[in-house]
Amino acid sequence: MSSARPDRHYLLRQRDVPDIHQLEVYRAHGGYEALKQALEANQPDQLVELAKASGLRGRGGAGFPTGMKWSFLPKDGRARVLVINADEGEPGTFKDRELIEGNPHQLIEGMIITCFAIRAPESYVYVRGEFLHGYERLTAAIREAEAAGILGAEVMGHPFAHRMFVYRGAGAYICGEETALLESLEGKRGNPRSKPPFPAVAGLYGRPTVVNNVETIMNLPPLVLKGADWYRQWGTEKSPGLKVMSVSGHVNRPGNYEVPLDWTLAELIEAAGGVRTGHQVKAVIPGGSSMPCMPASQLDTPIDYESLVEAGSMLGSGGCIVMDDSTCIVRAVARVVRFYRNESCGKCTPCREGTYWLTDIMDRLERGDGEMRDLDMLLDVSDNINGKAFCPLGDAAVGFLVSAIKHFRGEFQEHITGQRCPLGARQYDTAIH
Amino acid sequence: MIQLSIDGREISVPEGTMVVDAAAKLGIEIPVYCYHQALGPLGACRICLVEIEKMPKLQTACTTAVREGMVVHTGGPAVEKGRQGILEFLLINHPLDCPVCDKGGECFLQDYSFWYGSGKNRFEESKIQRQKDYPVSDYILLDQERCVLCQRCIRFLGEYVGEEQLMLEGRGVHTVVSTVEGQPAHSPYAGNVIDLCPVGALLSEPYHFKARPWNIEREETVCSVCPVGCASLVTGRDGHPVRLEGRPQPDLDDYGFLCDHGRFTYDFVNHPARLEQAFLDGKPASASAAVAAVGERLARVVEKSGGGAVAVLTGAVHTVEEEWALAQFARESIGTSRLAVLKPVAGDLPLPLLGTYADLAAATGVLLLGADPYEAVPVMHLKLRAARRAHPVAVWGLGDRVLTRSTLPGEDFVAEPGQVAARLGVVLGGEALDGRWAELRRGLLETERLVVLWDGADPAAAALLAALAGQRGERPTAVLPTHGPRNWLGAVRAGISAEHAAAARILEDAAEGRLEALILLAADPLRDFPDGDLAARALERVPAVYFAGWFAPEPRHALSAMLPTAAWAEVTGTYANMEGRLQVAHGAAAAPGQARPVRSLVTALARAMGHPLRLPDFDPFQDQDGDRIARPAKQPAESAGAPARPALPPGEWRVLTGDMVAVSHPPSEIAERTREPLPLRLHPHDADELGLGAPGGLIEVAQGERRFVAGARRDARIPAGRVFIPRGLADVPANRLDHGAGVKIALADPVREEVAAP
Repeated sequence: MSSARPDRHYLLRQRDVPDIHQLEVYRAHGGYEALKQALEANQPDQLVELAKASGLRGRGGAGFPTGMKWSFLPKDGRARVLVINADEGEPGTFKDRELIEGNPHQLIEGMIITCFAIRAPESYVYVRGEFLHGYERLTAAIREAEAAGILGAEVMGHPFAHRMFVYRGAGAYICGEETALLESLEGKRGNPRSKPPFPAVAGLYGRPTVVNNVETIMNLPPLVLKGADWYRQWGTEKSPGLKVMSVSGHVNRPGNYEVPLDWTLAELIEAAGGVRTGHQVKAVIPGGSSMPCMPASQLDTPIDYESLVEAGSMLGSGGCIVMDDSTCIVRAVARVVRFYRNESCGKCTPCREGTYWLTDIMDRLERGDGEMRDLDMLLDVSDNINGKAFCPLGDAAVGFLVSAIKHFRGEFQEHITGQRCPLGARQYDTAIH
Repeated sequence: MIQLSIDGREISVPEGTMVVDAAAKLGIEIPVYCYHQALGPLGACRICLVEIEKMPKLQTACTTAVREGMVVHTGGPAVEKGRQGILEFLLINHPLDCPVCDKGGECFLQDYSFWYGSGKNRFEESKIQRQKDYPVSDYILLDQERCVLCQRCIRFLGEYVGEEQLMLEGRGVHTVVSTVEGQPAHSPYAGNVIDLCPVGALLSEPYHFKARPWNIEREETVCSVCPVGCASLVTGRDGHPVRLEGRPQPDLDDYGFLCDHGRFTYDFVNHPARLEQAFLDGKPASASAAVAAVGERLARVVEKSGGGAVAVLTGAVHTVEEEWALAQFARESIGTSRLAVLKPVAGDLPLPLLGTYADLAAATGVLLLGADPYEAVPVMHLKLRAARRAHPVAVWGLGDRVLTRSTLPGEDFVAEPGQVAARLGVVLGGEALDGRWAELRRGLLETERLVVLWDGADPAAAALLAALAGQRGERPTAVLPTHGPRNWLGAVRAGISAEHAAAARILEDAAEGRLEALILLAADPLRDFPDGDLAARALERVPAVYFAGWFAPEPRHALSAMLPTAAWAEVTGTYANMEGRLQVAHGAAAAPGQARPVRSLVTALARAMGHPLRLPDFDPFQDQDGDRIARPAKQPAESAGAPARPALPPGEWRVLTGDMVAVSHPPSEIAERTREPLPLRLHPHDADELGLGAPGGLIEVAQGERRFVAGARRDARIPAGRVFIPRGLADVPANRLDHGAGVKIALADPVREEVAAP
């Protein structure tokens, strides 16, 4: 039984409170109370325990338990760093953008609480380059917090000193991968690093580093105020809490929805106004374009991390892409594969060369120049990328393709035998992508 | 130690070892492109995929450290498919132009495709075209189409050398290697990227289209250009050397890196100036006539005045065996004991202190005593950087100019010209030292393992180094002499004195008329002897000078005979490098013209003298310390301290000199393209005062009646009021100037120069 949707927003608070991006408004509505409480209690380790007890998991894609990530930091006295991954580049995902633009102070508050918990004197936010508005909102909010004594040599009167920096990326999908992000933040080419050493041991400038997603950290203020049990009223045992899902595609009301993690895909689509009248859901990608798609028959799957993995996909970053029966799946795959070809950083062989090859084959298929043997070749080339690339981008590039051939092989075959799209979809213009 | 199993065989290796290296210890080869032990793991090429039990995916053996109880399989269906997939990916955008590729036959893309590839091509789409023959530097070409993006070249220059001159440009499948901002990669170590490149992407321009693997001889040799003696491979084709490559020596922890001064000067043996023809009294002569005449004249001198009227100076560039044959000839056939190595510096290393490269790798402190390794012995600079990468090493520079640099940071202590040893004496004396100098003293005395790179210029330093070793007591002290000639320690092994005094006595005897003949084996006293004036007087006075070697010294009219000898790469023999290691070098080319090995030449001369020379067996390695020459036992330390020289009158320019292999390497048409046009150096303030523009220009160096003109540029590493003149520079012979007396510097008048030009 799915839990009820809360009567108010805890993350997308701008939906309930206009102008909450302003410090004054944020404070008038209980803002920075959690930080104050945490500082007064003055027990950083308790905060780590709270994060663990709540079962909060990373909202960036991998779903790693947040409290556990913090506890991996070596206790060797070196200065630690918190880096916020706001390089939201996953197609189909646009939650962090709205969160930063609408509710930046909750991010700042969550960051300071986290840094207090892990004893980090500095934190960085790596904002996707395209998010100019969010960058300006966040920078303005930091200036406000500094002026109000919330950031600086003292934090709200507590001797814990904290400095916060915001950095804009230059437009590379790969920089959402945490080690590539750290490289980019250090001013280098955004290529992923070898792990180990993990960022917890040697991250930004070699310092012990925690990299967390925007949404993850924004859960901290309500958690501190209301406690782990409150948080666990939503979702499942292993995937508790609320999640901001970005619903896009052929729904009537695309947008971000803050929902409990035990909802089903069907409930989520319903909340987004359902698919367009006269159409049926054909396929859904639940977690952004890097995840495998699911056919309409699987819409009853709950969106928690475990259920989606069991169903052959992943929650990822929560970018739910809904495709109705007007969608040419071959064209959709060609488009997504091309995206990953363009965004491959070029460091490792399988991702760099494999995505190029897949793109060429998919373009040929879509043009109507495909051959039957191409289908098995697509799967074999995908297999040669999957699990063999340096970072998850390689796996991401083939997730949709492999699942689409699995669920919609007939449609691929019709493209080959009919030498054109059975749905009459126009080939997209490769020159502009 | 960590115990693990690879392909069913147990091995135990130190913690932190990568699976690929553990496998190599078992003789199991795991293919790699991006991994290189000197550069560390990258994990980019993915060819080294292996299966590790209990891990869901294939793992890269180059980025996976061994763990206790790990079970690794380097074969099997999953691994084979993984490798085939990677090789297929590497070839989809590769031009497959092996038939016109210099690396064809020496290429790991070919080898691995042959060994591990599927043998089929499934790729039917179009390949991306990229730039071919992209000039990375004067010596290096890049074929971007053949590149597998292993980044070895980028990481080598950026991390190992510390000179970031190559980079990745573009993203994804459009990624290419390029130079930083389109500027040439001018690092003197850049040539190593040719050896590091596992495929046909980085090519040697001088070797481009010169040979194929089946028509070359690729022999083990050692570089002949400076006393580091880098292990290398020489490629010979049709009797000519056409390439020099680095040769890794895993048992010595040597990755086989060379400097470009060594790598691209192998053509000196075919340089137009090479002596290929015998000359007698200035006229070409047949080899037999010249040898017969020289032998007869020597015999007459010996008969008339005894063997002592003949002296022999060797430039110590021939093999140990040849130097030994020369020594036998001098002693047995001529009957003279006047036999010495001609060195360009006056200092004599106390041999008990002679250190090794292993000492350097383990050093905790390094003193650069007058020596700038980057310029004099470039690969030593790399060895120092490698040591620093492994553990902390304190570096101190003590010389008459700045000796550390950004790629080898340390503390510099700049002494007045000619007072380097005096300064060291004051430091070791320990009285009234101010802060920095006191720290230097503490560092030198207390660092656990000290290595001194000594340029040998200041003879007074020798006793001080012995004293320093004595003061350090049980803590090891080792000295590596950075000065030439290339094989002076080999000549020592052959029984020839390398003491400065021995050569000086010969030249003094000659200058004072006590010699009737002087034999020079590849020796150029006028250019190389520290006291150039004494050398000039000697050559003027001695009635006959017989030269044998590769390049006849100027002025040639002073030479009664010139006899060509076979050079490096033309004979098989032994050399000793600056750590005294005996290294065997094989020939891969034919000696040109009448050039013959020294051994054959001296036996012929002996016959012509009427005293046939029976050369007994000689083994350079016999009774030595492994493959290093035996060192005498350490002498008791002498007392420290040296008098400071009086200060010079202010306003006078004073001469500094030092070794620059870029200037001192043998004449090379290949290296001509990067010849330093401005070898002299001035402090920028001095250059401003002089009106020398930013790019540099011609200056006139004058002392008394002597005037020399040469190009100079600004260098903040030279103290104000000094001019740096590299040793052995033909235009401005530093050994003809009195370093204690100051010189006058002025901008050269270009008009007058043109008139003066021949």
